[in-house]
Amino acid sequence: MRRTLLTLAVLSLAAVPAFAGSAVGDTAPTFKLTSMDGKAYNLADLKGKTVVLEWANPNCPVSSRHTREKTMIELSKQYGEVVWLGVNSTNPNSGDYLKPAEELAWNQKNGINYPVLADPTGATGHAYGARTTPHMFIIDKDGKIAYNGAIDDDPPGRKAKAERVSYVGHGLDAEKAGKSPDPASTHPYGCSVKY
Amino acid sequence: MATSRIALFSAAVLLMLLPSRPASGAASAWSVNSQSQVRLITAWKVAPRQGELWMGLQFRLSPGWHVYWKNSGDAGFPPSVTFQPADVLGRPELLWPTPRRFDLPGGLVAFGYEGEAIYPVHAQIQAASAAPETLKITANLDYLVCQVDCVPFRYTLTLDQPLGEAPESDPDSTPLLQAALDHLPRTTAEVAGVTTGAVLDASRPDGPDLEIRVLGARAEAGRTDVFLETNDALDAGRPRMKVAADGVVFHVPMKPRQTNKALPARAPIAWTVSNLVAKDGRSFSLEARRDVEVWTRAGGPPSGAPQPAATPGRLARLLLAAFLGGALLNLMPPVLALLLAELLVLRAGEGSGRVREGAAAATTGIVGAAWVVAALALLAHRAGLPAGWGAQLQEPVLATLLAVVAALLTLNLWGVAEVPLAPLAPAGAAGSSGTGRHLLAGLFATPLALAWPVPLLQEPLGYALGRGPATVAAVFAVVGFGLALPYLLLAAAPALVRFVPAPRLPGGWLPRLREGLGFLAGAGAFWVLYALSHQVSPEGLAGIELALLAMALLAWLRHREGSGRAFRAVLAVGLLACAAGALWLAEENRLAPRPAATVLRTQRTQTTTTNPDLGG
Repeated sequence: MRRTLLTLAVLSLAAVPAFAGSAVGDTAPTFKLTSMDGKAYNLADLKGKTVVLEWANPNCPVSSRHTREKTMIELSKQYGEVVWLGVNSTNPNSGDYLKPAEELAWNQKNGINYPVLADPTGATGHAYGARTTPHMFIIDKDGKIAYNGAIDDDPPGRKAKAERVSYVGHGLDAEKAGKSPDPASTHPYGCSVKY
Repeated sequence: MATSRIALFSAAVLLMLLPSRPASGAASAWSVNSQSQVRLITAWKVAPRQGELWMGLQFRLSPGWHVYWKNSGDAGFPPSVTFQPADVLGRPELLWPTPRRFDLPGGLVAFGYEGEAIYPVHAQIQAASAAPETLKITANLDYLVCQVDCVPFRYTLTLDQPLGEAPESDPDSTPLLQAALDHLPRTTAEVAGVTTGAVLDASRPDGPDLEIRVLGARAEAGRTDVFLETNDALDAGRPRMKVAADGVVFHVPMKPRQTNKALPARAPIAWTVSNLVAKDGRSFSLEARRDVEVWTRAGGPPSGAPQPAATPGRLARLLLAAFLGGALLNLMPPVLALLLAELLVLRAGEGSGRVREGAAAATTGIVGAAWVVAALALLAHRAGLPAGWGAQLQEPVLATLLAVVAALLTLNLWGVAEVPLAPLAPAGAAGSSGTGRHLLAGLFATPLALAWPVPLLQEPLGYALGRGPATVAAVFAVVGFGLALPYLLLAAAPALVRFVPAPRLPGGWLPRLREGLGFLAGAGAFWVLYALSHQVSPEGLAGIELALLAMALLAWLRHREGSGRAFRAVLAVGLLACAAGALWLAEENRLAPRPAATVLRTQRTQTTTTNPDLGG
């Protein structure tokens, strides 16, 4: 009967979707999260605005390199009309976890002036299929995912900043012009999200 | 154990304390951090002034840490390196050994290497350049090393490579590089008799499924895995592997990266399959890059890639084979026994003019049962179990069920089990040719026929299973109609039934013939038991045979002594319990599948390698 049970298990597994996460063109999964400074954020309230989600983790060297290089900080300033939100899905049991107050202090010290939301259960991270820090999403004004992938084309960060192709920057330019980002999807790079 | 570990540790410490090797000749100095060490090596003590130059990035990783393959998986990123002087070395190519899979928290997966890893680098010393006596090679390397945490590193590795008219290979680094090159994945052109291909079935409701086939090689149990390179249009999920007749098949759930954009008609997909064993017993991994056909319309793709294209002519030929195969099944002893018994019943009822009706009922039963079998085969196929004509005999429980069915038919024909099946009722008895009984006989014929591996049916069924439910239903219906051919003929021309002999006296020789047919059916049961002897242990087989004998005993008791209603019911329940017991024994005593016979054949495989002449 083991074989039969195995067969049933396989069949039931096959019924479960093989992937969590969202593709470009999907409606962005809604969320209600609290920022490190205690404010509530509901995606539904942001309808009509372009939203950028940046999965972040101050203890991830790839994420913190971009903080040091001010990649996201400058982009969020440059596209001021866009709602830029960091999301940290680190599990409280992970060594990388920071308490909201600690993370807020770190963000302030390092010049991160956009809100970073705490997702300690990882539910929002899994709903979006966030895999790395950083992993970037652009949500268009209609609430659909317009871009899913890496911040730029330079995983090791060896190019001069001006020479990098900023996928998120190009995507936001396209959104502004009423076009779809191209590429709309790239392979994100960085540390794994510490679910 | 402890001492050897201490010895190892001291050796490692000693090695670290030794002055690092001068960065000349065949290796750069090690760049060391607490997660990893890395250096650049070349195959030459003195390299030729022009032509191929093989180098390698040699990593030593601390336990638990890994570096990445060209597709890093869900996280990380692959190392990147540039070389100087570019005017002499051109753009050296980094090669990627076969990776392994690392599971990370949150269901994330990474692909890479742990322990010792060498990425070979292929460079060409430009002939035009005026090469000096010593070439100063600089590698600017960036890499990410991860456990669950990740640390990025950037190093400049340098070595002075002497060049000369008399090249001399390096005795330390050449074997290292040679071993790394030997472990690079091969292409099908490099391993004789191996083919690979894939199709993407995007018509499935549960998302696209990429089927990758490797034929002509065996999988190493528990080690063989498939790795996909990144793709612009699709993300890959966790693959499932199943062993096929002459190779392995992977099913990889795929997810379009954009739902607002149609998939292309063909998707460029590259895969690497690890831990394969060639026909000559050599272990290898395989890489392939194909423009994979994307099937978006219902019905799914043709099975696997290395198969001839589906042309109308091929379909007609396969359907003809299915029909002939089905017809041929009538000659198999138990099927033949049932057919003859049925024909005799139809003949006996000839006067009543219900031959056509009876024949039509039997046909309906056969085709109906064929569709049930089709549905089961499709389910088994989807679940990754072997499905196809002949596969039923490789599944002990199913084979035992077939033995039980054949045994029941035997008992019925011997007159000791009153299953309402092809009953040779005394001539003239009302309802002896009832359509319901013919329908049942038809339903019974299909499972009996299942026990016969007719090679003719293999190809049509394999083809159908690869194409989806509609084709499977069609092919099984054609097989059913082939099996029902005698009944179809009778339905068309009921007068044909007169060719069946009938006894002059009521009863006459009929009972004896019927009992004789019982031996044909018995032969079927023994054949299935023989097939079972490869699937279950000897003790299990003995148990199954005893259960069948107990069934016969109970049937006989019920026939001889069963006058009381309750007693008959108890015996019937006992009979069913014996049948169930046989199935249970088959499950409990199943043997591990044997390696395919083809593997035992030792065939000289010519493996052309991409190895350069490292010997100098």
